Amino acid sequence: MNNPIRNIGGFGLLLVAMSAYGQPGRGAITGAVKDPVGAIVAGATVQAMNPKTGAVVKTTSSPGGTFTLGDLPPGTYDISLSIPGVAPFSRKDVAVGPGAAVRVDIELKEGSQLSTLGEDSLAIAADMKRHNPPSGPTPRTADGHPDLSGVWWSPRTVDPGKPEFLAGAVEVAKKRVEDNRKDSPQVHCLPSAVTRVGPLYQFVQSRAYLVMISDDDSPGFHQIYLDGRQHPKEPDPLWYGNSIGHWEGDTLVVDRVNFEEQVWLDQEAHPHSDRLHVIERYHRVDLGHLETEVTVEDPGVLAKPWTLKRVSDLAPGEEIREFMCAENNRDLDHLVGR
Amino acid sequence: MKKPENLILPAAMMIGLLASSAPAFAHHSFAAEFDAKKPVTLTGTVVRLEWTNPHAHFYISVKDQGGAATVWEFELASPNGLMRHGWSRNSLKPGDVVTVMGYLAKDGSKLANARSVSLPDGRKIFAGSSEDGGPTQ
Repeated sequence: MNNPIRNIGGFGLLLVAMSAYGQPGRGAITGAVKDPVGAIVAGATVQAMNPKTGAVVKTTSSPGGTFTLGDLPPGTYDISLSIPGVAPFSRKDVAVGPGAAVRVDIELKEGSQLSTLGEDSLAIAADMKRHNPPSGPTPRTADGHPDLSGVWWSPRTVDPGKPEFLAGAVEVAKKRVEDNRKDSPQVHCLPSAVTRVGPLYQFVQSRAYLVMISDDDSPGFHQIYLDGRQHPKEPDPLWYGNSIGHWEGDTLVVDRVNFEEQVWLDQEAHPHSDRLHVIERYHRVDLGHLETEVTVEDPGVLAKPWTLKRVSDLAPGEEIREFMCAENNRDLDHLVGR
Repeated sequence: MKKPENLILPAAMMIGLLASSAPAFAHHSFAAEFDAKKPVTLTGTVVRLEWTNPHAHFYISVKDQGGAATVWEFELASPNGLMRHGWSRNSLKPGDVVTVMGYLAKDGSKLANARSVSLPDGRKIFAGSSEDGGPTQ
C-alpha cells in the first residue's frame, strides 16, 4: 500500500498494511475495548455487520481487552458493542480494504443507569466471571420432583419474545421513562416489577410450597403454593400476586394472578391491568442450570400473550444478604424528572 | 497465571448474552439523580461510611484552596453487591484520604455517585482491577 497510515474522519482509525488476516484479499478490524473509566474490558462481544450483504462477524475481546475481526471481505462495516451498564457503542461506515487491518479502539461511555460503583459495567462483568455452574444431574426431592432449591444468578434472557403492547401501555411506559422512572415503586422500596428478577435470587422448595427470595427487592420474597390449592375466589391483589404451582413432568408450572395495581410489569416500565396473568415454567435441566419460560397474558396492555425465555446459572457459594431497603432510602429527596 | 482460553470464553459469551437482557440492578435510575454530563473528581478525608440499603454512602471532607472544608456525600451500590466484590463496612475508614471520581447530583446538592475510589498510592478500591478479581487482567 502506498499510504499505510492514515486517519479517517477524525476518529483515529488507523489503517495498517497487513497480510496476516486470513485469505489473500481479505481485511480485518482490530482494536481494544475500554470502559468509561479507562479500564480494560475483557470478554465483550464486538460485532461487525456489512449492511449491504447483511453478513455479521463477531468476536470477543481478549483478557487484555483487544479484539480482531479477521478474514473480512473488503467492504464497509458497522461496528457495535453492547454490554450492560454502559451506553451501546456504534460506529458506522468503517471501510475495510483488501490485505489491511483497520484499527477501531472502543472507549465506552457511561449509560443512563447502573453507573454507581458496585452496579457498574465492571461489577456486572466481575459477576459474570463468578458464573461457574457445577455440572451434574438435576437434584430431586424425596417424591421424585426436580428440586429447584439453590441460589441462582440473575437469569440471562435467551429469547426476549416480541411483546406487542397496546398504545395506552406504550404511552404510560414512555412517560415513566422520560420522567427518569423517578416515581417507580422501587425507589419507594416497594417491589420492582413483575417480570424482574434480582442480581441473585434463591429458591427454597418444600413439598407444599416454593419460596423465591431476591437480594435486592422489597420485601424480596413471595410464596408459590404447591399444595394443590386454587387461586382465591375473591380477588385479593398483592404486589407479587397469588402464585400456585403444579408439576407437568419435570417442569414446574406456576400460575400467577391478582396483582396490585401499582406494581410495574417489567423493567421497561409498562403498566398492567387487573387481567394480568403470568405463567412461569421452571425446568432445572441439570444441577447448574434453570430454564424459565415466562408467558405474560394481559388483554388490558398486550395485543397478544408475550413469552420470553431465560436461563439462570446456579451460584454455589453465594448467599442472599438481607436488603432492608427502607433503612436509609435517601434518594427520594434528590430524584428529578425530565 | 493465565487462564486457558476455554475457561474464559464461556464467560465472555455470557456477557454478550447478558447484553440482550434487561439489567437487574439499580434501585433507582441513574438519570433521575445524577448528571452523566457533570463528572467530578474530588480528594478528601473520609468522615464516615454508612453501610446501609438501598445504597451505601460515604462522606469526605474536601478542603478548598483557602483551607475551608466542605463535606461531600457519595453514593455506592448496595452492600450486597459491594460485598460480592470484596468491599466491607471496613473498606473505608474515617481518616482515609481518597480521590473519588463520580457524577454530580442533578439537584445541586453536595452529592455525587462514586464511579471510582482511589487511595493515595493510586490503588483503586473496587474498580474491577486485577487485584480485586475484576475483569481487568
